[in-house]
Amino acid sequence: MAKRQTVFAALALLCTGIISGGLGGCGGDSEARVAEPGSSPAAGSESPAAKLGFQLFGDTSLSVSGRQACVTCHVPSNAYAATDGLSVPLGGPDMSLPGLRNAPSLRYASLTPPFTIVAGSATGGFFRDGRASSLAAQAEQPFVTAFEMANQNAAEVISRLQNSPKSLAQFIAVYGADVLNDPEAALQDMAQAIAAYETEDPSFHPFSSKFDFWLAGETQLTSVEQRGLALFNDPSRGNCTACHPSQRQGYSEHPLFTDFTYDNIGVPRNWKIAANLPHPVSPVNGAALTYIPIAANIPADSEYTYYDLGLCGPLEPAATDPHPRPVFSDTTSLCGQFKVPTLRNIALTAPYFHNGVFGTLEEVLEWYVTRDINNNVGNNPNPVPAGPGGNPYVAAGSFYLAADGTADRFEYNDLPVEFDANVNVGEVPYTPPTFAGGQAPTLTADDITAIITFLCTLTDGFDPDHPDAYALPEQCQAAVAASSQSSMAD
Amino acid sequence: MKTQTKPSLRVLLALAALGAAGVSQADPATSDADAREQKLERRVEELAQELQAVQTELQALKTQNQATAATRAAPPPPAQQQQPVQTAEVAASPAPTAVPAAPAAPASSPLDNLSLWGYGEVYYTHPTQEPKRTEFDLARAVFGIGYKFDERTLFNSEYEIEHAVSSANDVGEFEVEQFYIDRLLSDQVGVRAGLILMPFGLLNEFHEPTNFYGVQRNFVETLIIPSTWREGGAALHGETEFGLAWNAGITSDQDLSKWNFAPEFPQYVTALDLEDNDVAPLQATHQELALAKGQHLAQYLALNYNGVPGLKVGASIFNGKLATVPAPPNAPVPDDQHLTLWEAHARWMPGNFDISALYAHGAITNLAAINAENPGSPNPIPSSFLGYYGQVAYTAWNRGGYRFAPFVRWEHYNMGASYEGVSGPVVPTGLVPVSAAPGDYGYWPQRFDRVWTFGANYYLGPHLVLKVDYQSFQVNTDFSRYDLGLGLNF
Repeated sequence: MAKRQTVFAALALLCTGIISGGLGGCGGDSEARVAEPGSSPAAGSESPAAKLGFQLFGDTSLSVSGRQACVTCHVPSNAYAATDGLSVPLGGPDMSLPGLRNAPSLRYASLTPPFTIVAGSATGGFFRDGRASSLAAQAEQPFVTAFEMANQNAAEVISRLQNSPKSLAQFIAVYGADVLNDPEAALQDMAQAIAAYETEDPSFHPFSSKFDFWLAGETQLTSVEQRGLALFNDPSRGNCTACHPSQRQGYSEHPLFTDFTYDNIGVPRNWKIAANLPHPVSPVNGAALTYIPIAANIPADSEYTYYDLGLCGPLEPAATDPHPRPVFSDTTSLCGQFKVPTLRNIALTAPYFHNGVFGTLEEVLEWYVTRDINNNVGNNPNPVPAGPGGNPYVAAGSFYLAADGTADRFEYNDLPVEFDANVNVGEVPYTPPTFAGGQAPTLTADDITAIITFLCTLTDGFDPDHPDAYALPEQCQAAVAASSQSSMAD
Repeated sequence: MKTQTKPSLRVLLALAALGAAGVSQADPATSDADAREQKLERRVEELAQELQAVQTELQALKTQNQATAATRAAPPPPAQQQQPVQTAEVAASPAPTAVPAAPAAPASSPLDNLSLWGYGEVYYTHPTQEPKRTEFDLARAVFGIGYKFDERTLFNSEYEIEHAVSSANDVGEFEVEQFYIDRLLSDQVGVRAGLILMPFGLLNEFHEPTNFYGVQRNFVETLIIPSTWREGGAALHGETEFGLAWNAGITSDQDLSKWNFAPEFPQYVTALDLEDNDVAPLQATHQELALAKGQHLAQYLALNYNGVPGLKVGASIFNGKLATVPAPPNAPVPDDQHLTLWEAHARWMPGNFDISALYAHGAITNLAAINAENPGSPNPIPSSFLGYYGQVAYTAWNRGGYRFAPFVRWEHYNMGASYEGVSGPVVPTGLVPVSAAPGDYGYWPQRFDRVWTFGANYYLGPHLVLKVDYQSFQVNTDFSRYDLGLGLNF
């Protein structure tokens, strides 16, 4: 454990250096990333394929830019989430092309069940829209995506593999040289190796958070953290556990804080995503973007041209996926549904939601509890006045903004109005908008602080023998400080 | 029943005659009127002969029924006597747990040792303050099969369909409620093994609708004693000469890992839900011998004094170590949980009165750590739960096989009398979503109540009963309701 943490710390330092070098993303130097093979997380009892996977995970020479690998957006020291702070990562031939969705944490991803849909209710699958049938099918795609590693096809990936001596040698040792003559099969093998690494390496599922040690009886949660967990579980307050179960489920012997279901929660449109702009251009060089997919199922009279509708498009399963899930472009009831993510390490993985619209957990929680009562939204029939007993967050302004920063005409503005009925309005913490006069949010500002302090206990890397060494991100420290001030005031 | 048989036979025959006439009139091939007339005459004669044969058969059946009734009304052997029966009508009907009645005629076929029986009940329940939750339910349709291997050995079984339709998409269940072999070791001692009904309270072993007052079973013997409570195991039973019936056994136990700490919505929003949804401590954890965890066994003892005609006084106790919630990996082995359930009951039937009372108390040990893992849960596991009732019924009218008996019952139940590890369940307040159905808002109920029940049973002979009652809930006032019921038992 200590050795692994040392390696992660070294990697984090490397990444920090690269960020300060102006790349706008972590990674970019595969040789540095894998400089110490003997001390890599993949060393030990893992399979040769997993060791190859570790090598490929960090090999930037397989990208057209030569500056991007899996590790660029899935940084080991940051729970395999991005550290660039961007809503969507940059990639492409010269690292100037913005992506479409926020890069998620890969930690615990291997515990995701396969995609299923029963009675219109979807579960599992990989990517935020479940369009990849397996971890390997997912790992294959970034190699050949125009705004990521940007290879034209499998053949181009394999030609780059053949020019990356270390990766090539390990690949041949595991899969033989013959398969290189079939680039598509060889790319699938590469993806299998990466999936093996993500599955076998303990750093992808350490279960080393303070919460885990508390469950094991080896540490105590503070009273504020306990209160946060209670609010998290309370079906009339946070009700977070309804989709992010704090209880063990069938997928693991540990609570995973996701039930892997899909939901449409009507998150606001994020104008920091280039694809959302009327005329999408690169934020790096201003060049027009030509790869923005427009879903065919978007009604013609919609407010905007591009919408990311999750399960029902515009991204669809790859033709090379051996077990593709159905295409749901005609199933408009699923439009806007995205997979529930784990909340483990959530304090590390800002910005939040599939479009990275919120920068902090505080914003996320405030939005959750005021989504349907914010009186700055034009189509809310029952605005709640600000003030005692009313909406305490009105001063923060509407979360649903138009491109110019003013309140948008419609709530749920990242969905065509025709699909508004798909938004989940039937569960706490969404305050029922149908009540005359509405009602107060289910969480106060103090409650939100308590929940954030609890969420911070889901950060891996706790050592019960050295609790003071638990490195929590800044927003956690702020929440802890706020809660202690609040309790002192009490 | 008998009076109804003749008219129905007549109707049948008349219909048959009409049908025959209709067929004849429609026959175009017959042109000779005389031939047609003769044919009709022959048919009428045949039908008259058939009618006579049916009448003869009916007479024979009547005689046989009277003989059988006389046999059944005779006191059963002491070892098989279960309890003073509630009514004269019930006395004439074989209790499912008793030895099947001996065939009236000398055995001439192996089928003569077979007994087939059944019962069922239909409810109409109308919550007065929540009329939208009115329901109509074929609550249970049950059939039983018994077989008498010899004078001392029998098999008995009971199969139940709850809520009419059992499939993946329906709410019903199909279940085995009893399945055991009973053998008399002597005239006063028997042994029973298989899936057996627990000899607890006044209702569990005698749960047919003709055996209890009120449309539904009382709450104490539903929520505290989880009727119909059965376990897998073996028991010895018998009765002393002075009327003390005893029953002791070793059985399967409950499984705490079935507990749901995180119901997002209330598990019941009506009194009918409360009875049906397996929410009470033992209902939620009983295993019903469905791949039951068997690493621990429980033991019980039940005593009943039947020595004074019209009086029954008894008590019973159950104790066992429970299959428990799995601990997290690396966690210290948690303390064992033990369940103790005990109850005491009395029933006295002076003249036309039928007076009964019961107290039941359950306790589960060492729940602090398990509950503490789930702060904020609306449904922690209680450390104790209890209930009691008193009931007075009076046969106001009894004539020609019909009987009318009004009754009143007062009861108190508390499914969470005390807790460890938490102060109690979080009971959400205010109007909140109470189901996944859009717009279904309501209030979470409390886990205890005091209930008055006023009603009447109207018996149409020994096998049929019509019921009506009104239940007034003092705490969860929304549960107050009118009920109509139809029950049968043969």
